[in-house]
Amino acid sequence: MKKPYEEIKLRGESFFLLPQRAMYRPSRKQLIISDIHLGKAAHFRKQGIAFPAQSHLKDIDKLNFLLAAWQPHSVLILGDLFHSSYNKEWLWFKSLLMEYEPVQFILIEGNHDILDQTLYSLPNLLKVKVLEEDHFIFSHHPLAKSDKLNICGHVHPGLQLFGTAKQSIRLPCFYLGKVHFILPAFGNLTGLHILEREDNADYYLIVEDKVVKL
Amino acid sequence: MSIATEWFKHKKWKPFAFQKATWKAITEGKSGLLNSPTGSGKTFAIWFGVLESYYRQFGKKKKPKDSGLHCLWITPLRALSKEILLSTQQVSKDLELNYKIALRTGDTSSAERAKQRKKSPHALITTPESIHVLLASKEYDKFFAGLEFIIVDEWHELMGSKRGVQVELAISRLKALNPDLKIWAISATIGNLEEAKHILLGNKSENSVTIKTALEKKIIIETLYPDIVQKYSWVGHLGIQLLPKIIPIIEASNTTLVFVNVRSQAEIWYQRLLDEAPHLAGLVALHHGSLADTTRKWVEDNLHNGRLKAVICTSSLDLGVDFHSVDSVIQIGSPKGIARFMQRAGRSGHHPGAVSKIYFVPTNSLEIIEGSAIRYAIQENLLESRIPYVRSFDVLVQYMVTLAVSDGFRAESLFEEVKNTHCFKSITWEEFTWCLDFITTGGNSLKAYDEYHKVVLMDGLYKVTSRTIAQRHRLGIGTIVSDSMMHVKFMGGKKIGLVEENFIARLKPGDVFWFGGKNLELKLVRDMEVRVKLSNKKSGKVPAWLGGRLPLSYQLSSSIRKQLDDYKTGNIHYEELKQLAPLLELQNKVSHLPDKNELLIEQIKTREGYHLFVYPFEGRFVHEGMGSLLAYRIGLLEPFTFSIAMNDYGFELLSDKKIDVDLITDNNLFSSEYMHDDVLRSMNSIELANRKFRDIATIAGLIFTGYPGHQKKTRHLQASSQLFFKVFEDHEKNNLLLRQSYAEILDFQLEITRMQAAFDRISKQKIVFTYPEKPTPFSFPILVDTLREKFSNESLQTRIDKILNSVQK
Repeated sequence: MKKPYEEIKLRGESFFLLPQRAMYRPSRKQLIISDIHLGKAAHFRKQGIAFPAQSHLKDIDKLNFLLAAWQPHSVLILGDLFHSSYNKEWLWFKSLLMEYEPVQFILIEGNHDILDQTLYSLPNLLKVKVLEEDHFIFSHHPLAKSDKLNICGHVHPGLQLFGTAKQSIRLPCFYLGKVHFILPAFGNLTGLHILEREDNADYYLIVEDKVVKL
Repeated sequence: MSIATEWFKHKKWKPFAFQKATWKAITEGKSGLLNSPTGSGKTFAIWFGVLESYYRQFGKKKKPKDSGLHCLWITPLRALSKEILLSTQQVSKDLELNYKIALRTGDTSSAERAKQRKKSPHALITTPESIHVLLASKEYDKFFAGLEFIIVDEWHELMGSKRGVQVELAISRLKALNPDLKIWAISATIGNLEEAKHILLGNKSENSVTIKTALEKKIIIETLYPDIVQKYSWVGHLGIQLLPKIIPIIEASNTTLVFVNVRSQAEIWYQRLLDEAPHLAGLVALHHGSLADTTRKWVEDNLHNGRLKAVICTSSLDLGVDFHSVDSVIQIGSPKGIARFMQRAGRSGHHPGAVSKIYFVPTNSLEIIEGSAIRYAIQENLLESRIPYVRSFDVLVQYMVTLAVSDGFRAESLFEEVKNTHCFKSITWEEFTWCLDFITTGGNSLKAYDEYHKVVLMDGLYKVTSRTIAQRHRLGIGTIVSDSMMHVKFMGGKKIGLVEENFIARLKPGDVFWFGGKNLELKLVRDMEVRVKLSNKKSGKVPAWLGGRLPLSYQLSSSIRKQLDDYKTGNIHYEELKQLAPLLELQNKVSHLPDKNELLIEQIKTREGYHLFVYPFEGRFVHEGMGSLLAYRIGLLEPFTFSIAMNDYGFELLSDKKIDVDLITDNNLFSSEYMHDDVLRSMNSIELANRKFRDIATIAGLIFTGYPGHQKKTRHLQASSQLFFKVFEDHEKNNLLLRQSYAEILDFQLEITRMQAAFDRISKQKIVFTYPEKPTPFSFPILVDTLREKFSNESLQTRIDKILNSVQK
């Protein structure tokens, strides 16, 4: 049986691409995700726009599942953890952090992460701008220039595929180019940005419960 | 002496019988419907009834008394409101009456609005949206307290849209304020005129009257043929090959209106006309819905003055004021409906007794048949009905918030008012409560965490308390949802018009495109604006605007089937059919020409795969539904992936595997049994509903389109309708707005009742299969169509594998 993830090598190191739109780094027992946009539903609801209130429970459930399944030592979030200004959905995240106290969460600041600094001061949460580690540089926005491989989010990458009989389908994907490795958006309330196909890039599509290299 | 006789005497005119009948009915206190074409004096027919009623009450010679608003005149178009304002004001001026008339539309300045509120005119000429904006202002009940009349102009136009629902709801409120209100509809001839009256008048239909003008205008139709029909293109919707034939018509006429079906076609025709006939430069203009208001106004003004020889236009000139200099009309391509064709024809020849002359220009050879179908339909008096919207919960939710923004409402009394409209006559208390929940708690909520805030319930009164929410709501009032468009402007800031975002996304600075009849070079794109400058470089790029692909009406498509059958049985009445003979003979030779008892299915293999063509001649919407239904039913028997293409005459299923024809005949795949469920189950309906949902979500206030003039969209409040659709599908299956999107695609997109009738007809027909070697005159136009729907019951994984395989090959 095929593994429920796709193993790839980035700069010689092994990474697992998970169909839950997340990535696992075995060498550091680290779970890497990006663009959850938690609090989006509540932000809209506060303004009188009726997103179903439980929309984000899916994201929390998914994160719970991954934490239980992979038992990571740390979780690295590549920005846009929270969608906008404070609302009570932040408490969901806070209680998740308390539940997994021994796990270190690291948030790389994204353009949506505009909460008051004091809210981020939780014992197992660390907030940084960028993170340089080994052969990699982790950031939210794709960096314009980098000698190391830039692992980032922000883009919400997806691909549109065309087949015979004029069919087409849109799927979220991981993108691997010369300089950038971009993660798909983790959150359920996020859109897709359809990428133009490049010849020198690799694409890992999320097809239901599998990750498939194009 | 009545006011009317005095004025007609003053003008030395004679009133028509229908005008007298209308005055009489109005002064007797009746409500009713006046059936009359534009330019027949319908405005005066109503107006003198209104004036007469007013002065019987208040007396003529007395000092102008502050009697408040007396009459509301609703029109679908701002251009029409202006026209009505001018003619009614003229009456007050001619007879020195103190009856004041004012305009209230989206363009009315806030100073003017404030003035109107302080001292109300006697009559307001306005739009459905503006009335709802009035209902959203404090103490509107005082403003409307003295209202006696509501006149709804061009009701047939409004009725087939959600603006009609807005009118129904506004009237239900005003009726509650003024039980003696009189309601009049003015409508062109449609298939369901009596129904139209009942919908608008509601409980006032009793004792109401229907008045028809006896003025029948004669229409002369002339089809322009290619020199050799066999050599004319089998495909296309442009028709540019026949351009040389229309130049002499333009030259010989005073003013010609050239109607095309879509905006891009108008652009291309305008460009090619000037290339072909440069001496007409300055005398020809372009008019379509994406051009800037000022440009359109300029064209309309010059049509009035008779300074233009020709205008290339789209449905943007279907309605509106009459242009007296117009003496010929050209229709390029299928008119799609009989009423529409007659309306366009009616734009020429305005003086009483004049004849309307219209030329029909087919854009591909098979389309010639529509010329004879139109003649037949007019002869048989076949006219389309307008289907009203029912159960439009998006409009109801918007209306509830509108009332909550102004003075608030109480649930029980509003329920009674709403239930008396045609649109919501079947609404249940549960559904109404759902709408109340939607605006107060945001639907199903998570109590502890929830911070939803919109409408609050205080002492039984539903009110909006937040000023931000109230302001945002007022800006969102309306039911017309536009596509995502970008403003095109010159570097200096002068507006040219609107183009779709997708089109601009494919251009780079320096690229040249053709828009608004000009060659434009793209300079820069900023926020939602495109800055351009004039260019000398030629470019073939013309923006394609989505939409505009109307289906052939039921009446016109059945007339086409009749023409085919007539040809087959040798009953040839019209010139068009004779001209078309070589093509129909070819179709018969390489495949088959069906008569009325047959359904033709062709199977053809090409490099692309296996094509199955079916020709019900029912219009593209029904074909879209039938195509996905057939694909779904075949899929139940064997896994298949299809892409579906269609035009107004037939549809195609294209697959990478061969479809065995026995599969179709042995399994009764055209049965109308379970049709409803099967259509909804076919994947297509979810995709269609998803698209429909965009409008619904916008009207219901889920999507905020931003403040006018603010280019930056509201921070963090942007979400696509697809996202809402997906989340509702996941978490809130019973969401009424979600359910409404399915109901709307069944009624309007798939035309389910029409589809039912088509299936019933097909079940009695004999299916004729042919296996042509090459595409036939019937199939070729569908084959080359690039807009496709897809259907699959294969698992996502199998589809991906197939797509991946074909991509990698």
